[in-house]
Amino acid sequence: MTALTGAVLAQNALSAADLPQIGAPAIEYGTLSPVLAITATALIGVLVEAGAPRRARFGLQSAVAIVGILAALAATVWVSIHDLGKVSFEGTDLLARGKTVAEGALVVDGPTVFLWGLLLVFALVSMLMFAERGLEGGLSGFTGQAAVAPGGAGEREATMAGIEHTEIFPLAMFALLGMMVFPASNDLLTMFVALEVLSLPLYLLCGLARRRRLLSQEAAVKYFLLGAFSSAFFLYGIALVYGYSGSFTLAAIDTAVSNQIAGQNLLLAGMALISVGLLFKVSAVPFQAWTPDVYQGAPTAVTAFMAAGTKVAAFGALLRVFFVGFGGAQWDWRPLMMIVAVLTMVVGAVVLIRQTDVKRMLAYSAIAHSGFILTAFAGAYEGSAGTATITSVSAVMFYLAVYGFSTIGAFAIATLVRDGGGEVGHLARWAGLGRESPVLAGVFALFMLSFAGIPLTAGFMGKWTVFSAAWSGYAWPLVVAGVLTSAVAAYFYVRVIVLMFFADPEGDGPTVAVPSVMTSAVIAVTAAVTIVLGIVPGPVLDLAQNAGTFVR
Amino acid sequence: MNGLFGTESWWVVIAKAVLIFLILVIYTLFNIWFERRVVAKMQHRIGPNVHGPFGLLQSLADGVKLALKEDIVPTAADKVVYVLAPILATIPAFMAWAVIPFGPEVRIPFTDTVTPLQLTDLPVGVLYILAVTSIGIYGIVLAGWSSGSTYALLGGMRSSAQMISYEVAMGLAFVSVFMYAGSMSTADIVAAQAEDMWFALPLLPSFVIYLIAMVGETNRAPFDLPEAEGELVGGFHTEYSSLKFALFFLAEYVNMVTVSALATTLFLGGWRAPWPISLWDGANSGYWPVLWFLGKTLIFIFVFVWLRGTLPRMRYDQFMKFGWKVLIPAALLWTMAVAVVRRIRLDGGMDQQTVLIVGGIAVTLLLVIAFIPERKQPADDEEPAETDAFAGGYPVPPMPGHQETRPDA
Amino acid sequence: MSMVELTFLMLSGVAVFSALLAVSTTQVVHAALWLVLTLGAIAGCYLLIGAEFIAWVQVLIYIGAVVVLLLFALMLTRAPTGPDSATTTSNRNVAAAVSVLVAGGLAAIMVSGFAGERLAPPRGGVGSAASIGDAIFGTWVLPFEILSLVLLAALVGAIVLTRRGPERDNGAPGDVPERAQH
Repeated sequence: MTALTGAVLAQNALSAADLPQIGAPAIEYGTLSPVLAITATALIGVLVEAGAPRRARFGLQSAVAIVGILAALAATVWVSIHDLGKVSFEGTDLLARGKTVAEGALVVDGPTVFLWGLLLVFALVSMLMFAERGLEGGLSGFTGQAAVAPGGAGEREATMAGIEHTEIFPLAMFALLGMMVFPASNDLLTMFVALEVLSLPLYLLCGLARRRRLLSQEAAVKYFLLGAFSSAFFLYGIALVYGYSGSFTLAAIDTAVSNQIAGQNLLLAGMALISVGLLFKVSAVPFQAWTPDVYQGAPTAVTAFMAAGTKVAAFGALLRVFFVGFGGAQWDWRPLMMIVAVLTMVVGAVVLIRQTDVKRMLAYSAIAHSGFILTAFAGAYEGSAGTATITSVSAVMFYLAVYGFSTIGAFAIATLVRDGGGEVGHLARWAGLGRESPVLAGVFALFMLSFAGIPLTAGFMGKWTVFSAAWSGYAWPLVVAGVLTSAVAAYFYVRVIVLMFFADPEGDGPTVAVPSVMTSAVIAVTAAVTIVLGIVPGPVLDLAQNAGTFVR
Repeated sequence: MNGLFGTESWWVVIAKAVLIFLILVIYTLFNIWFERRVVAKMQHRIGPNVHGPFGLLQSLADGVKLALKEDIVPTAADKVVYVLAPILATIPAFMAWAVIPFGPEVRIPFTDTVTPLQLTDLPVGVLYILAVTSIGIYGIVLAGWSSGSTYALLGGMRSSAQMISYEVAMGLAFVSVFMYAGSMSTADIVAAQAEDMWFALPLLPSFVIYLIAMVGETNRAPFDLPEAEGELVGGFHTEYSSLKFALFFLAEYVNMVTVSALATTLFLGGWRAPWPISLWDGANSGYWPVLWFLGKTLIFIFVFVWLRGTLPRMRYDQFMKFGWKVLIPAALLWTMAVAVVRRIRLDGGMDQQTVLIVGGIAVTLLLVIAFIPERKQPADDEEPAETDAFAGGYPVPPMPGHQETRPDA
Repeated sequence: MSMVELTFLMLSGVAVFSALLAVSTTQVVHAALWLVLTLGAIAGCYLLIGAEFIAWVQVLIYIGAVVVLLLFALMLTRAPTGPDSATTTSNRNVAAAVSVLVAGGLAAIMVSGFAGERLAPPRGGVGSAASIGDAIFGTWVLPFEILSLVLLAALVGAIVLTRRGPERDNGAPGDVPERAQH
């Protein structure tokens, strides 16, 4: 305003002193448009929070989030058509497409775009669950006022007044932004920043459940403390790797590793610490301890978003760091990762059998599935030119797609089985659900079968791809372990189905709330995808395979 | 930056350091006298005028008296920190002067050594001043905490919040100066103003923001909330006496001079002579600039005293609201505006017409926004809620918008 | 060993020593003060390797703002600011053992990685404000901008967690919290 004109006048009066020239950075706005769209959505959300009237805010916020994600999806499609030119590197004739952007901070290649697409679809579906207001008497599943004491008079007043936290939408958008940048980072610094962007909003969202708030707050604190701890490991690892290689950029680290420029201790310690940070995010054993508590305590919509989104982002980053940056040190990290994979599968599947709570059950299931994905990762099969054998990268991406849809669907159903105190967590109370609501129980059974990896469901195709990639990478012990633990886990999943359909209900049995069109849509879409990917996986598998390897 | 810094012989450096210390202590004594005289003038009194010429020695006598008072350490105090606090408040106040330029290069009398009238210069000099003055906050916070007294604790907390808040605005005010001078070194900034004009003119908003922030930063009236006598007895130094109290007193006055000197350096051309004097060729050489420098500093000291003599103390919440909701956004906006205009000019610039059109549109938009009436909150306060005036057996005043009901009604 | 290296060594010693005291003292406020000393010593190390800008920013931000805010939070909340046995649990010894092990391991890695390295004299231009500005707004512009979004998200989160009551922007000072009115 006047400030501007004042500055203009001042400039006219003064001759420009010679400043040190700093060149403007080159930013490929077109290629970055999906990320920019989500950033804009988050910022618009903050502005809506500041300016829109309270009554209209919830609807407006959910609309902004959904429209923003749709725009970002469209941008992703555009990027996949325009910016994924084939590239080749010396010494290899593997398929790779894409380029580095934003002064080398991000790399937009086949895997990145595939994962962006996945993340955006998962976020879209999760936002529908965020926006669900049919289950709590016209209010969202998030606490009305996070600041008041759980169970106090303030909480009752907030509920009576219909106050809601609408900041959840911008926060989720910030998390989504972090998730998108995380697997696309071309250097460790950007990756660390992205890790923080994705984690911080999730820590917060975990503590905002409307029911069982103490459990929710405990989950948030646990997640925050352990997450901060793992971030510190990650950062220390980055420092050590920087000390070893003198660079943050993955390609430069690769060069340093291949040439063995310095003592290996720094590199090994750095790799170990970085893997701690990443394995924490994918909840691999022995860094899984937070998962059940957080999955159980967090609002179910957040759990669904987090379970699907964080896993996609973290596995994308894990693969990129270890395949691109530490590719030359494969023989150092692969044995360790194989052990982690086996441990994760075994612990996930065995502890799963003892679970009695639906959300904890899904949490251990998430751990076991991380183990299955890790088999393909530890197999580290990069493919060979000219053959169509599925590579580790494609297998992991396909599995993430399969797992993400099933898990969001399962959590969506978990929001619907309720009694007077909110969602019914205990599995025993799910007995007889098949009689109460055959359709819902049937769909849940479908997700269970998919988790178990029964043929004709998406889960089977997912397992087949990761085991096949592990096999191609000569990691056959992992395949054996994977098949065995799948069998163990399948026993449990089938038991849940038996419980729902053939057991007598306890007391009155559970009631199934009638959701709005939002949650119904979530369940319908995820169920449909689970079936379609099980019967005709071809197109998606081709998409994953065509994404090619990472661009470095 | 002057090539002499870092290569001077040790005795020159020590001599300059001792001189700066002496100047500051004497200037402080002078300032206390000055303040009392000026305030007296404003109140149609005379002020100290007996001891020494014009009463100049009055502050010295008061200082001696202060030092001879009994030194009390409260039982509840954390002894080590209690002693450490006044030291922590004083040392940074002096340290900031290491990079303040008093004048150009001069020849030290009776020798052939040529030296700049500045202890040293750093490429990031202003940042250094900001950094060391921020250490001074510890003195006040720790004094408040270690005294073991509620008044002191409240005062310490207030001051930490206040100084951090106003430091942000202060730092933002500097940014536009850096952009104009192309340097963060104090000597370079003075030199840049010699080429153009005093930065106070083109960067008037920055200057005004700095002036406000500097009063907040030094805890002086009307922003002297950490030691608000009416509420907090003496604030953070309630429990202090004798020399320890004297150190806080010294730190406050030195800080006042520091921010004034910084204002002089960044906005008023530093040691360079003001306009009518600058017509004289010898004005900017030799030891004369020290006089111009101290003179300009004294103007700011006068402003400090003037404010103290005329303005009532602000309320704490209004003060913080002003800092965060007015000063910082204004500073940000102005900094952005300067940066944008600067960028445009460096890129080849716009012609006069474009500038006017853009400016006009901006002003119009702002006017329109300013005239949109602020929508009333559709709060549930619209129907006045009823308040039980004797809730829980104690009389409670009604809140705004509430109607009082009598328990017997 | 040059003068610079000797000073560097001494400052590092101070940093390590005060860091140890920061975690072992039972007085929370004293711990914060030892932390200040650690951060200050590290700022000194930065100065010695020629990173002048970073050094003063470290003093300004970490010492001048972060730890002051930390002290502020300690005083404002009901956190125990005196020596308190409740904050000292029986896990102390286990924690100490783990810390010693980890620190020893990391120190061994550091020594094996950097043994024999000498402190190079500061190269001209590296660590200056201009070079850092160039790096931040050139190569690292994207992570830098994304960092600001972390801060924004944290701000939004802080408001979510602390704000109570319907909007009351122009509330009177000392606005009585919700419950006290009823």
